Amino acid sequence: MNALDRALLVAARELAAERRRPDGFVAALTFTALLVLMESLAFGPGQARQPGVASALYWIAILFAATLVATRSFDRELEDDAIDAVLVLDGGREALYAGKVIAIAIVLAIVALAAAVLSLVLLDLGVALAGHLVLVGVLGILALPPVIVLVTLLALRVRARVALVPILSFPILMPQLVACTQGAAAALTGDASAALGWAGILAAFALVYGVLGLTIVPAAIE
Amino acid sequence: MIETTAAPFPTIRVRPWLGRLAVATSLIATFMALVWAPTDAVQGDVYRIIYVHVPLAWLAYLAFFVVFLASLGWLLTRRPWFDALAIASAEVGVLFTGMFIVAGSIWAKPTWGVWWTWDPRLVTTAVMFMMYVGYLLLRSLSTDFSRRATRAAVIGVIAVIDIPIVHLSVLWMNSLHQLPTVLRAGGSPSLDAAMGTTLGISVIAFTLVYFAFLAERISIELDRQRRTLEARA
Repeated sequence: MNALDRALLVAARELAAERRRPDGFVAALTFTALLVLMESLAFGPGQARQPGVASALYWIAILFAATLVATRSFDRELEDDAIDAVLVLDGGREALYAGKVIAIAIVLAIVALAAAVLSLVLLDLGVALAGHLVLVGVLGILALPPVIVLVTLLALRVRARVALVPILSFPILMPQLVACTQGAAAALTGDASAALGWAGILAAFALVYGVLGLTIVPAAIE
Repeated sequence: MIETTAAPFPTIRVRPWLGRLAVATSLIATFMALVWAPTDAVQGDVYRIIYVHVPLAWLAYLAFFVVFLASLGWLLTRRPWFDALAIASAEVGVLFTGMFIVAGSIWAKPTWGVWWTWDPRLVTTAVMFMMYVGYLLLRSLSTDFSRRATRAAVIGVIAVIDIPIVHLSVLWMNSLHQLPTVLRAGGSPSLDAAMGTTLGISVIAFTLVYFAFLAERISIELDRQRRTLEARA
């Protein structure tokens, strides 16, 4: 079994657990919807419908959802010490990291799709470049999990983990958040070159942190 | 497991001299900044805060880059000295970054009219500050030495990406903050010669202060590691 097979196996196991008990998914979905509604209400309909504001509200909600999904995923691992069985396997650490990133990206994509529909319908947003918006969305979803999974792994058995994961990961994810927000706003307003530029930045961040995570994870987990 | 083979750095003989040299250079830099350097034609004497603000910015970058190097050192060798260097540099870096933000804010009020504005350089610097506060928080919440050092080292490695983001943010985004004055591509520093000399001496003085603080803090940390080991034994 090669490294990719092992990672896919961990991802399949994660998705199976999520399907059997979708508490992480449901919590993230509910939280995201609630956050989009509350933020829009706080800003008022006039302001919240502006492309820049709507994009920022949406991606901040997705960022919180990503930490929720990751934290719940690792909670499940710790409940019955399942994580220890994976870690002792040859190449288990890299497989755990890559598998979690893949699985959390898939769960997050579903949450993001639902939240996008909610935002577009409730705020009655016009989309000038739908393809570009999807591209930014997909790359944004790929850019968040590599950092969040790495930080969640580091904080696995630390006190106050729930607070520590956002404190550590949000500053690192700030460039990705800016790129997601600006890219989505550019796609909404019809600025194709800006949307593609921000999408390129997201792809670069996804790649850099993905490779960095795979390189550093074996040393990071004790 | 803590090994006690690492020798304190710098040695006892060098540390006091480092402190004295830092104080002496700081006094010279203070005289040059307040008396010798000419008054700026546009900003008047307000600009003199540059002799504090820029060295603090340089030290913030330096301190966090040292954290990165020390973190790599720990991950590759597992020598406790590297962990002591990382914590020492992170603490001093957080102190200097906090002072950097405060100094910038004091300078912003008379020149921009506000204490704070949502400018890319200011925000990215504040984010960098928060990132290393998080680093210190992670360390304080971990009890086991080896795990704490490893967790912190990983954050120390990945957080370094923020340094170029902070420095280049004024070029990448529309910014109220002026463009880089000293460390800029394709040209020499855009400063009057006397101002440049004063700034150079200030940077040297602050760097010596940084190394003096670093040496003391490393010594304290190594002593703490030794006492922990003795308590366990």
